[in-house]
Amino acid sequence: MWESVADFVVQGIVLGGLYALIAVGISLIFGVLDVINVAHGEFFAVGGYLVFASVVLMHLGPALGIAAATAGTFVLGLAVYPLLLAPLRRRLGRRPSGSLYLVLTLGLSTFMQNGLLALAGGEYLQIPPHVRGILDLPFTSVSYQRLLVLAIAAVLLGGLFAFLKLHRYGLAVRAVAQDPDAAQSVGIVLGRVFGLTLALGVALAGASGALMAPLFNVYPAVGFPLTVKAFAITIVGGMGNLVGALIAALVLGVVESLAVMVIPSQWQNAIAFAAMIGVLLVRPQGLLGRAVAR
Amino acid sequence: MSLAIEALHAGYGDLEILQGASIRVAPGQIVGLIGPNGAGKSTLLKTVFGYLRARAGRVEFDGHNLVGRRPDQILGLGMSYLAQTGGLFPDMTVHENLGLGGFILESARRRREALDELYARFPLLHERRRQLAGSLSGGEQRILAVARALMVRPRLMLLDEPTAALAPRFIDRVYETIVALNQSGIALLVAEQNVEMILAAAHHVFVLDLGQNAFDGAPAKLRESAQIRRLYLGDA
Repeated sequence: MWESVADFVVQGIVLGGLYALIAVGISLIFGVLDVINVAHGEFFAVGGYLVFASVVLMHLGPALGIAAATAGTFVLGLAVYPLLLAPLRRRLGRRPSGSLYLVLTLGLSTFMQNGLLALAGGEYLQIPPHVRGILDLPFTSVSYQRLLVLAIAAVLLGGLFAFLKLHRYGLAVRAVAQDPDAAQSVGIVLGRVFGLTLALGVALAGASGALMAPLFNVYPAVGFPLTVKAFAITIVGGMGNLVGALIAALVLGVVESLAVMVIPSQWQNAIAFAAMIGVLLVRPQGLLGRAVAR
Repeated sequence: MSLAIEALHAGYGDLEILQGASIRVAPGQIVGLIGPNGAGKSTLLKTVFGYLRARAGRVEFDGHNLVGRRPDQILGLGMSYLAQTGGLFPDMTVHENLGLGGFILESARRRREALDELYARFPLLHERRRQLAGSLSGGEQRILAVARALMVRPRLMLLDEPTAALAPRFIDRVYETIVALNQSGIALLVAEQNVEMILAAAHHVFVLDLGQNAFDGAPAKLRESAQIRRLYLGDA
């Protein structure tokens, strides 16, 4: 009994780390641009395909594969603001409403899924573990692959928080989240910060897609359910609140994993979304309220 | 001439607020901009600083045409802008707010130097550097906002109603700071509702009404004009 509890807790923390990478990205983008990025999970899928191309097709090794997936989705992300969001804003002559952005990123999501289907086909691609072997712990054992996911998630999120706290452009990202007009008055160019924020957010998704590829399979729609779940996490943590998203992601990962012990697994998603709806009914601002990386 | 604005037109959407206003600020001057609510004072400052695009007219600063430039480019030419409410980042520390004032300075060493200089000049801010800007008193927030705008060592500062919503005891402090800045060689263009304060401090005053020039001259001349007093200074 206790062995399996420990087992599920470890699995849950890894799952939580994955949710955190995706939810923190969504929350960051929302906090700075006020855009709900429906296409977020598609960057997870692109990360998976990039790691497949690097590791399976080009035999480059997992480290390069993960780096290529992260860098590739970052570069794709850099293009999203200037090519998609900025023109909408320019043509309209004012800030587009949230619903317009929602439809636009939903369109991007469908376009990317279809593009992947056309380019790579619909098969479920398998990727060998980035690292092999199993670590034996007193109560349980955990594969090095899962530990790798957790370690890299921690490094990436730690890096993001350090960037936001210390780097000149990280401070600019937080400044724009707090007050775009004031940010302009100190010489911050909003378009650049919007582009950078989107790229950072989706690169986290790309990195997690690359990390999780050996545990999931890679196929065009692999990321979409994760987007929806990350929305739930983001709302529970408070939209735009990165620490809230991180905590909510870890809690949900562990709770979901443990719930399987007592509740049939087909209820897993129902429980996650019931929790989200419950939080919205009681505390619409989320458990921790809105605040980008104070 | 430091700043020359000629026949400026600007506004929001279908609403044209500035309808041909002309303003001049000579180097080292304090220039007041007064007029009733909706006269276009804020709109004028926002257009000069590049928040709004001029629809017609000219804005020249030290020989550079400013029309079509972004705020970051205008800052780089030596002009900074203080929003009505200070425009601070309330959830960031005093130190982070000041650091962001030097955002356009590419060299970390120059940012460091500018920061040290301001901490020496405003010891209060050094004491409070780890505090969130939002936790400072109203008066302290104004000082932080002014200090942040000094990070780029401007030659001209645009101030939008620097004493709005401020307790009377802080209004004198703000004007002491304005005069001190001016004595250190900075020109200031100050949009102001508090007419008595700006008449006492300014070298030259422009009165705007309905987006156009209604009057301009030395403060003493403004006080003498019965019509101006009745219309804009609230005298019966």
